[in-house]
Amino acid sequence: MPHVLHLLPYLVAAWLFFCGLYGLVSSRHLVHSVICLAILQSSTYILLLGIGYRVGGVAPIFADIAPGTVTVDPVVQALMLTDVVVEAVVVALLLAMVVKAHEKSGTVSPDELRTLRG
Amino acid sequence: MTANQAFSLTPLPVVVPMAGAAVMAGLRKWLSRATVDSLGILFSAITLAVSICLLSGAVHAPMVYWFGNWHPRGSVILGIGFVVDPVSAGLTVLASSLTLLSLVFSWRLVESGSNHFQPLMLIFLAAMCGFSLTVDIFNLFVFFELMSTAAFALCGLKTAEPAPLQGSFNFAVTNTIAAFLILTGIALLYAVTGALNMAQIGLSLGGRHDSLVLFAFTLLTCGFFIKAAIVPFHLWLPDAHAVAPTSVCVLFSGLMVELGLVAVARLRFLVFAQTFLSHEPQLRAVLFGLGTLTIVIGGLMCYGEHHLKRMLAYSTICHSGIMLLAIGAGGAIGFSALMIYLVAHAFIKGGLFLGSGILLHRLRGIGEKTLFGKGRSLRWTGLLWFLGAAGLAAAPPFLTMTGEANLFHQASDVGSSWISWACLLGGSLTCAAVLRVGMHTFFGWGTEPITDEAASIGELPETDAGDRRIFWYQYLPTAICMAVPLALVLRPGWLRVASEACARFASQAYMLPLVYKGMASSGPAPVLSVATADAMWHGTVALVLAVLLACSSVFRSRIRRPLRLGAFLERRLTPLRAMQSGHPGDYVLWLTIGVATIGLANVLLFS
Repeated sequence: MPHVLHLLPYLVAAWLFFCGLYGLVSSRHLVHSVICLAILQSSTYILLLGIGYRVGGVAPIFADIAPGTVTVDPVVQALMLTDVVVEAVVVALLLAMVVKAHEKSGTVSPDELRTLRG
Repeated sequence: MTANQAFSLTPLPVVVPMAGAAVMAGLRKWLSRATVDSLGILFSAITLAVSICLLSGAVHAPMVYWFGNWHPRGSVILGIGFVVDPVSAGLTVLASSLTLLSLVFSWRLVESGSNHFQPLMLIFLAAMCGFSLTVDIFNLFVFFELMSTAAFALCGLKTAEPAPLQGSFNFAVTNTIAAFLILTGIALLYAVTGALNMAQIGLSLGGRHDSLVLFAFTLLTCGFFIKAAIVPFHLWLPDAHAVAPTSVCVLFSGLMVELGLVAVARLRFLVFAQTFLSHEPQLRAVLFGLGTLTIVIGGLMCYGEHHLKRMLAYSTICHSGIMLLAIGAGGAIGFSALMIYLVAHAFIKGGLFLGSGILLHRLRGIGEKTLFGKGRSLRWTGLLWFLGAAGLAAAPPFLTMTGEANLFHQASDVGSSWISWACLLGGSLTCAAVLRVGMHTFFGWGTEPITDEAASIGELPETDAGDRRIFWYQYLPTAICMAVPLALVLRPGWLRVASEACARFASQAYMLPLVYKGMASSGPAPVLSVATADAMWHGTVALVLAVLLACSSVFRSRIRRPLRLGAFLERRLTPLRAMQSGHPGDYVLWLTIGVATIGLANVLLFS
């Protein structure tokens, strides 16, 4: 049973990744596409945190714990925070584009918004 | 300048444009257009000067800069480092000179989206410089994302039309997925090695190639292939180029796409250097296969396209395939082929894009049919355009030919001389397309061009309708772009230096002590001299074939039906064009299929 629990974060990450991917492929609404992209990105959060987890580890704040205590890996947490910032920027930019597209062409469906072809 | 002085300049290629962008973005409401333009040119010129200092320092002795003085301890590297060797410093010089040229070109010309254009260009420049210099793989990802985000914004700058928003949206979705693939790959590598520095990852991976390492390798390379527009990940590129302002296309095609390939080369030569030692032929087979497919599809689509910017974008895909062949061929000479070709291609493609910008500004059109016969008075633009076409075919004496000479040499060393035929095909198809447009536009020869509905996107000019004059500051950058790949051939001394630097960059045995100890191992660099006679013939044949093909299109009504090969190619590419649907969902589907296929091939070949 513990074996399955160790695998769980990776399974969840893969599940989220494919959910996002499926959503992007089948999307009929640009805002829906952007959210799917955000879901796809959440898989990387889970993956990073899963990699850094240590069984019985405490938070990596070294001010008040004895040297040698097992902590979870702080590096991946820093990576994840950077990742969150990146996502915020990309999602904001994409949503701004969707708003503009709606203003200019009155549609948010990728099927109707197809001036670029062939 | 001594190495010590140059050393303290190391972070500046990132800091200067970033600070400049912050100042300009903060004050943009109070600054006039001319002030913002001059500030942009000033900051990119300073970046260029700093990069040249770094390059001259790096040629004497490569340097490693650790931020916050976090030096390596033993075999562990915690700090983030910039490695300034001639290759990465050379890339910063290339990035800043291209940015400078395109900012000069857009002086008062390109609609600047209420002064957002210039700060975004500077951020783009900072990201490209950081991407070239860093040796930390997560830092590489951050600069990749910064580069992408600035690129999305620049691409969708003309928000007055729906097409730019759509092109930019497709670009953003595919390239963001690329970033996540890369990040997942980085996370897996971190799980395996506990390291983020590429040198340390390479050291601790050693010869290990289990399924996890293969998985990480697949994700990382596919992520960078998306940026490098390798088939089937190329679909975003023509859309993005069709709608982006011309001076932005110069940076997209000139360097951004190629930086994806440079990252793949770094992975191959530094991170996974030992992984595939026992499987070199298989790795070559995968990369050669992808490269050839890219050349064929990119070349055919390029010839079948009638929208100038999209046509040049397809030609970038085709040439990206040629550069992938160089990575596939591997070895010191293969890598120097990549770098020489990259520099030459960047300037030639940049010049062609600036040329198409002049046409768009002067003639108010970007479709081949709209431009038919209208460019007769633009003699200088025509001359530069035809020079660019010859450069694409790698005809002598262009620098592209020297790059191909290196590539053919390495390919025959590894027993795959057939790839020279792929290069011949790609070079002649893209050259023929550019020649065809040139003959139609500047001479008005032959029958009226074939056209299609796609050729009219982005016809809305980027510039003020009242003023159609062209100034010296639009000709000058275009001429410089064409002159550089010719001038560099005339001074062959630098080629020896460049080849040596590339040989070192491609050798893990040289890079590891450099990153860890900050000193270059003193082993003699191999002297690389490559015969160019073969490539000269090759380039000439490609040029002749291209002229014939272009003529068979232009004069299609005067020749007999079986000889109308060009017109046949222009009309009969419907299945390939259907792939380019403009729907983000389709692009993501192709991307998924591509990653799955490459992953499957890797598993079958390497385990």
